[in-house]
Amino acid sequence: MSEALFLSNDALRDLVAGLVAAGTAVIGPAPAGGPSIPGLEERQPPTAKGIYGALEYREVRDADELALGPGMPRLSLKQFFLPQSETLFSWKQRGADVEIRETPIAFNPRVVLGAKPCDAAALEIVDGVMDWEYRDELWNGRREATTIFALACAVEDDHCFCPSVGAAPDTVKGADGLLTPITGGFLVQATTAKGEAFLAANRARFAAPPAGGADEARAYREAALARIGENAQIDAARVRDWIEHHFEDPFWATLGVRCNGCGACTMVCPTCHCFDIVDEEEGVGCGTRRRCWDTCQAGKFTLHASGHNPRADQIARYRQRINHKFAVYPLKFGEVLCTGCGRCVRTCQMGQNIGEILVAIDEYAQRTGESGDASAATGPAAGAAP
Amino acid sequence: MNLYQPQLATVTAVVDETVDTRTFRLEFKDESFAGAFSFRAGQFGEFSVFGAGESTFCIASPPTRRGYIECTVKSAGKVTAELREINVGDTIGFRGPYGNWFPVDEWTGKDLVIVAGGIGLAPVRCVIWNVLDRRAEFGKVTIVYGARSVGDLVYKRELEEWAARDDVTLVTTVDPGGETPDWTGKVGFVTPVVEQASPSAENAVAVLCGPPIVVKMTLPVLGTLGFAPDAVFTTLENRMKCGVGKCGRCNIGPVYVCKDGPVFTAAQLDALPAEF
Repeated sequence: MSEALFLSNDALRDLVAGLVAAGTAVIGPAPAGGPSIPGLEERQPPTAKGIYGALEYREVRDADELALGPGMPRLSLKQFFLPQSETLFSWKQRGADVEIRETPIAFNPRVVLGAKPCDAAALEIVDGVMDWEYRDELWNGRREATTIFALACAVEDDHCFCPSVGAAPDTVKGADGLLTPITGGFLVQATTAKGEAFLAANRARFAAPPAGGADEARAYREAALARIGENAQIDAARVRDWIEHHFEDPFWATLGVRCNGCGACTMVCPTCHCFDIVDEEEGVGCGTRRRCWDTCQAGKFTLHASGHNPRADQIARYRQRINHKFAVYPLKFGEVLCTGCGRCVRTCQMGQNIGEILVAIDEYAQRTGESGDASAATGPAAGAAP
Repeated sequence: MNLYQPQLATVTAVVDETVDTRTFRLEFKDESFAGAFSFRAGQFGEFSVFGAGESTFCIASPPTRRGYIECTVKSAGKVTAELREINVGDTIGFRGPYGNWFPVDEWTGKDLVIVAGGIGLAPVRCVIWNVLDRRAEFGKVTIVYGARSVGDLVYKRELEEWAARDDVTLVTTVDPGGETPDWTGKVGFVTPVVEQASPSAENAVAVLCGPPIVVKMTLPVLGTLGFAPDAVFTTLENRMKCGVGKCGRCNIGPVYVCKDGPVFTAAQLDALPAEF
């Protein structure tokens, strides 16, 4: 980690203005735009830090738009690397021939200021699948064009569980540096060469930390660590072991019946990366092929042309989500496909709580002290009531 | 260009195999791609009709025939319906080859028993021609092929060609009720016909492909005939979008059919969760 520098609130304004003037897109958490959602406040009681979903990551023109404090943006950073819908190429029919217009795979420089550490970490986790033998140029092009400074998190609410999945409120995984709020601004540290290059290129905006600044930052992070310690905690290795050995278990049915298959959890998830590829005609004989977010919770996701469906019910589909995140992905790519951000818990209309589900599995695995015996199939107590 | 952008190919031949199944021959437009293109028996590709989208089909022609690829498609959904409208001279897209392959090179000197049902003959047709084009390298070749009815048999001219060869044993069958008055093959389901044909498992491998029910019923029969689980090969075709391990839908437990498959041995299938 580089030496700590100070970025005052005033200098932040200049930094953003300078970046924008130079053609670098600045992305960060900001109050959600667009129409307000009627009744949101009644349906979703404010957390200690405000209403979940009141913020969103978006491109800003001015530092005053940024909300670099508490609050969890309703969608993760995923959309800036794997857009909800993107053009893979365009095509035009010319008689019997087809003309293809490529989608550029070079991207303009961007900087993210104030990424949630869990959202930045998710990008590095998803790199594993995006680079698996075949390199996804669109994902990687955006990754390379983007410098990310995470904002040390003060813990959103009871649904955060990042330490259980190998992260922390101040993790710099997937980020190029870390901002920690202190009086009058932020303590800034670069953690990658890219982050250091960014600090060097904008050196005039940064100052030496004020006296006591480092202590203040440390106290902030320690308070967050203490706070997250009160939330759900699991042993991810033990949970993985149980899941790997209990593909057939009545426990999955207790979860699956409480899922209506809406897929909202997969949309808000920073690590869910499944997609569909579809053609959109934009006139006669021309159109685009697009990649769009998809969800493993939808029945058609795996439906064969013959009518056969390997995951024919919601029980199988819910099991797939948990299995993929906590057993398959670690096996394939060495990491749990979850950052503990808690968005799926806050979003689920059925009250599914992934933290509680993992705790239930972990307690069961611990209590029985077994992992490989699928015959002891009584399953964890599905106490994960909302 | 990104990896989801297909190569353009010209349709140079179309054969109507049955009322709902067609075989397309494709030649790549880009000469440098065509020159460098190679694949192994059992690999698949993403074929696209512009405006309808992409579908996953195995390459049904053998790697020993260069200059073109073929795929055999049964009408079932959006893309396959559009393919019905495609004719010689039209342009379609192709991405691939993807996935693993049948280890044909490891089978030299062995007898081959090939069992297929319905459209399941398409992926193994690639193996059959691959082997017949290198005929001297392999032992006995036995093919058992069944379809619902005589009208549902694909590659009819090739079936005649194989039947006429003295270095291939071909057994064809149709489901009871699917025969015609002039049908000279067997009448019965594929599984019992394999049992009757009773091919020797000694120094032999079996290749099996067909509807899930045919695979499910025939696997134990091959076991009874003495084929070890690692000497029985099949190919799975889960729904796919990307074909390259990214889109997240074809996995069976920890196995991604597009990258770790589509070719699996019976031993490998046994180790997978029952979700395919």
